[in-house]
Amino acid sequence: MTLGDDAGLVDVAFAACTVLARAGETAVLCGGSAAAYYVPDRYQSLDIDFVVEVGAAPHIVDRALSTIGYTFASEGHYRHERLPFTLAFPIGPLSIGRDYITAWRTERRGDALLHVYTPTDVVRDRFLHFWAWGDRTALDVALAVARARGADVDTAALHAWVEREIRADASYDASRVARFFALLQDPDR
Amino acid sequence: MRRDDLRPALFGTAIRDRVLIRLALSENGLHVRELARQIEASANAVHRVVIALERAGVVVSRPVGTTRIVLLNRRWYGAVELRALLDRLVAAYPEVRDRAGAFRERPRRIGKPL
Repeated sequence: MTLGDDAGLVDVAFAACTVLARAGETAVLCGGSAAAYYVPDRYQSLDIDFVVEVGAAPHIVDRALSTIGYTFASEGHYRHERLPFTLAFPIGPLSIGRDYITAWRTERRGDALLHVYTPTDVVRDRFLHFWAWGDRTALDVALAVARARGADVDTAALHAWVEREIRADASYDASRVARFFALLQDPDR
Repeated sequence: MRRDDLRPALFGTAIRDRVLIRLALSENGLHVRELARQIEASANAVHRVVIALERAGVVVSRPVGTTRIVLLNRRWYGAVELRALLDRLVAAYPEVRDRAGAFRERPRRIGKPL
């Protein structure tokens, strides 16, 4: 598997996930790069975040990624000589707030594959970024994914998750939740 | 930091324990130099601890002006339980608690008497 000089985020993500899968490692695209996968016209990122299953051996990851031209740069980060995209491997387990993520989508392109957060999980992950830190860009991205992939976004699950998070940490700003769901229902607000 | 400190290094090292406990006492986070001063450790040692904790997702840092503010990551999946444990552990570190109590995080008008 090779990456051309014009490879984009999705090409790199597919290639990395595929070579890791062939090496026996399951890596799931998450964070902002998962959002960029669903709404590439609304959001782009140069950091491609994967969480690999706990216990993945670094030398296996190193060897797999070297086959597509990515080499170890610093703890958890890999760089390519010609491409601007950085591969990052945040420490797992895969989680959004207090929920562990145990299911994801597996997309296929020819013989390549990509494990990626579901649209619902991308929405709640980006929304949580806004909820916790007030990051407006993250709110915009959450709403963009929700609108672009409306049929795939489980709004009831979003509500239930928000309730669970508030029960665990009552200091979360409730007004940000209200704003998010209002914008979700009525984009013109 | 006293070399004869017999308290267990619950999170691996005494500096790591103190960094986490001090951050649990902070509303808005601290920059590394202030954090180091507050727990009486070197800035380099605290910086190394912060990098390791940030990599693990336990703390986050964000740029403020020319420095970076470090704070506990409330998005981390164990954030609520960690904070509850740290709140308990504060009792074992009265010197950290006392220094934190004397440190003002909120803005103060220049020239206002103490």
